[in-house]
Amino acid sequence: MKIVIAGAGNVGIHLAKLLAGENQDITLIDESPEKLARLDSSFDLLTIQESPISLHGLREAGAGDADLFVAVTTDESRNLVSAQLAHYLGARKTVARINNYEYLQPKNKDYFSSMGVDSLIYPEMLAAKDIVDGMKLSWIRQWWEFAGGALVMMGIKLRDNAKILDKPLAQLGRELPYHIVAIMREGVTIIPSGDDTMKAGDLVYFMTMKKHIPHIRKIAGKEELPDVRDVIIMGGSRIAVRTAQLMPDYMNLKIIESDMARCHALTEQVDGKVMVINGDGRDPSLLLSEGIQHTEAFVALTDNSETNILACLAAKRFGVTKTIAEVENIDYINMAEKLDIGTVINKKKIAASHIYQMMLDADVTNVKCLTFANADVAEFNVKENARITRGLVRDISLPRGVTIGGLIRNKEAVIVTGNTQILPDDHVVVFCLEGMIKTIEKYFN
Amino acid sequence: MIHFKIIQRILGVLLLIESAILLLCALLPMFYGEKDLFGFIISSLVAACCGMTLMIIGKNTRNSESVMTRRDGYIVVAISWALFSLFGSLPYYVSGYIPSYTDAYFETMSGFTTTGATIIDDIEAMPHGLLFWRSLTQWIGGLGIVFFTVAVLPIFGMGEVQLFAAEAIGPTHGKLHPRISVSGRWIITVYVMITVLCAVSLRFCGMGIFDSINHALCTAATGGFSTKNASIGYFNSHSIEYVITFFMFLSGINYGLLFFAAFRGKFHKLIENTEFRWYFTIWLVFTIIVTVSLYISTPYNGSASIRNALFHVTAIITTTGFTTTDYTQWPPFIWMLLGLGMYFGACSGSTSGGMKSARIAILVKSMRNEFNHILHPNAVLPVRVSGKVIPPATKQSVLTFSIFFLALVFLGWFFYLAIGIDIAEAYGISLSCLSNVGLTIGYHGCNIPWSDLPALGKWFSTFLMLMGRLEVFSVLLILTPSFWKHR
Repeated sequence: MKIVIAGAGNVGIHLAKLLAGENQDITLIDESPEKLARLDSSFDLLTIQESPISLHGLREAGAGDADLFVAVTTDESRNLVSAQLAHYLGARKTVARINNYEYLQPKNKDYFSSMGVDSLIYPEMLAAKDIVDGMKLSWIRQWWEFAGGALVMMGIKLRDNAKILDKPLAQLGRELPYHIVAIMREGVTIIPSGDDTMKAGDLVYFMTMKKHIPHIRKIAGKEELPDVRDVIIMGGSRIAVRTAQLMPDYMNLKIIESDMARCHALTEQVDGKVMVINGDGRDPSLLLSEGIQHTEAFVALTDNSETNILACLAAKRFGVTKTIAEVENIDYINMAEKLDIGTVINKKKIAASHIYQMMLDADVTNVKCLTFANADVAEFNVKENARITRGLVRDISLPRGVTIGGLIRNKEAVIVTGNTQILPDDHVVVFCLEGMIKTIEKYFN
Repeated sequence: MIHFKIIQRILGVLLLIESAILLLCALLPMFYGEKDLFGFIISSLVAACCGMTLMIIGKNTRNSESVMTRRDGYIVVAISWALFSLFGSLPYYVSGYIPSYTDAYFETMSGFTTTGATIIDDIEAMPHGLLFWRSLTQWIGGLGIVFFTVAVLPIFGMGEVQLFAAEAIGPTHGKLHPRISVSGRWIITVYVMITVLCAVSLRFCGMGIFDSINHALCTAATGGFSTKNASIGYFNSHSIEYVITFFMFLSGINYGLLFFAAFRGKFHKLIENTEFRWYFTIWLVFTIIVTVSLYISTPYNGSASIRNALFHVTAIITTTGFTTTDYTQWPPFIWMLLGLGMYFGACSGSTSGGMKSARIAILVKSMRNEFNHILHPNAVLPVRVSGKVIPPATKQSVLTFSIFFLALVFLGWFFYLAIGIDIAEAYGISLSCLSNVGLTIGYHGCNIPWSDLPALGKWFSTFLMLMGRLEVFSVLLILTPSFWKHR
């Protein structure tokens, strides 16, 4: 598959690396030779030093016969123009990164299609959605919905008070209302089998149905954690503005921003129930006077990953139960996890995984690239005579590092265990180690 | 740099327009066969002569003097109001129905500024022509003399922006249309429609044609001149009271918003407007309190309490100043409350006076922010109007305006005390003139005999009315020395 990426910014580079590992033909086009130099030598991809909005440059990059054209420069109007030009040259599918919420509205979709832009992605919006989801269920680290919400997967950090520790999974019971699909222990992802055990400090990924969430909360020992009502955001970035807009009405939000001019700009973008405070979010006296001790969630969204991590640690010391840090430096993500920052938001990963799903050739409707576990989640529609339908799940030798979390059959959600028989037309949710999706596709087709 | 030639020319044109309007009014005495015909013709001729003279003086415009500045705009607006009143008072004086020139000038200024205070003790004895002219002054002044003439007759082809800016009502004015003359025409359309609908409704409620037209003109202008001594109380009709209440309330809404609601179907613009919400809320709260107070403390039954409260609260808050009964006979709590309502006024961009709900909203929100600021010293607390953050400069000017307004009320109060008026009346007169209401409070009735004021008091009242109508700064500005410096 031929993929052209315009713009070697953070998202572009991350996406290029991700796709290069998948053995795709990647061409990266950017004007800046410095940005390209590092990539060309260390990754299996082609770089073209041209403007992403020059027809000549796009032709040279092969946008004309690209299966997927992705415009992810920092400038939204350049992205739109670049995607249109690529479409004009003959690219089959075009994606542009934007910064404007209005463009995302469904009623404008036809217009953008007619312009030659098939999909729009807005990383800040996706990040804000993740943050708000995280605060709504504050005891959950990560949260995904599959098949329109029939199945949910959640990552929960287990503490000493969890009721399911130190027992092999096989002994937990036969017909459990959940399926443990992955365990993260000290930076290593384990796709568990029956004889693995959970330990305090593990980040455990449960696949379950919404009606069983209270049960999971009980067995994970999270019942006494308060719901999030008061939120402090440090750093008035675009994600902060989007978060403020997506936040449910019962939450009270304060945004702490150190730049006065930015504060004034913020007041024009958020509505009256958000209080904008000018000051340094790392200053303990300021945090105390703004009531950090009664705050349930602290979100650090400054441009500086180190600041965000440290501020979240400080907030933890004040007793904030839910901390969320934006960490743009991918190398820090594991470190942030070790330091016990609650949820880590990475715009690049979110954007890249969003685009990644568009290029998967199987009937996959949703792939999420997990930040903590080096793992992918994919949804497949099982085809007639697929290998997976030849017996019970435990009798089919799925490769190590793959587990089937759950499935949707006749619109009913089912938790998959070893005794489940998968049938054609089932919609299954598969959990696998990073980069294995291509390998497991053949089981379902 | 002040361009006197341009100013003279524009003032000349305005006077010619006034002369033409006066001549039109002369048709009524002809129709009714009354004695004020001569007064109108003389006045019209005098205005025409002066207008011509001004135009001839201002004619030799050099090329460098063809551009109008902001200063010119302010001068034209302030002088045109004084000048219009000067010539507008001639019919009363020349025809002999108002023998004192001071009284005639007071009556005209009270008309143009839509105050509605009258020195005529027996209104019903006046001829039809003068009564109609009296109502017409309110209707012309309702949207602003310059606005009215410029929007109806786009004669200048220049300087509209400066003129409108100097006469506009309220702290914020969004443009309706890129071309100011088009917005002007839209607003006039709304104005004419309100007037016509009001006149037709009043006619249906049993009012005579002449009275309907006069009351409609004064209602749409939120002026308050009536053709009867007892104001609306003369008709003793509930339906007339409700019709007038409704149209007074309507005239208190921003005409731009009314235009979008009526002609473009954009009601949400009106509903979402912060100022309209405040206007409606203030009006509702006052009505409820007055209704309850009336029900408890007076012999009125439930429906009479509601009707009287609705009518008078609306008449006061929109600064119209019609009455159906002497509300100073009610307990002092109620008329002092109505006195408080005089400060508020309705919406900017309407025909009402007072401080305007937008300013009240900004003031209250600023105050709330001050309290918040004590609790959150580092918070950046904006003031939002209709979802938009208002710039600090606007907030500043609203605060300054409010202080000036209050200071002028108190200054006026002391002035009237000094010339021997009772303490409550002095306060009422000062506030009433500045807010362009026309009714007062105190122990001598809500329609005090304005004719009993000393001449000095009458002249000072006209000054206060003009200050109130032009929102203080426009008048004070041309009284400052720095305005006249050639820099």
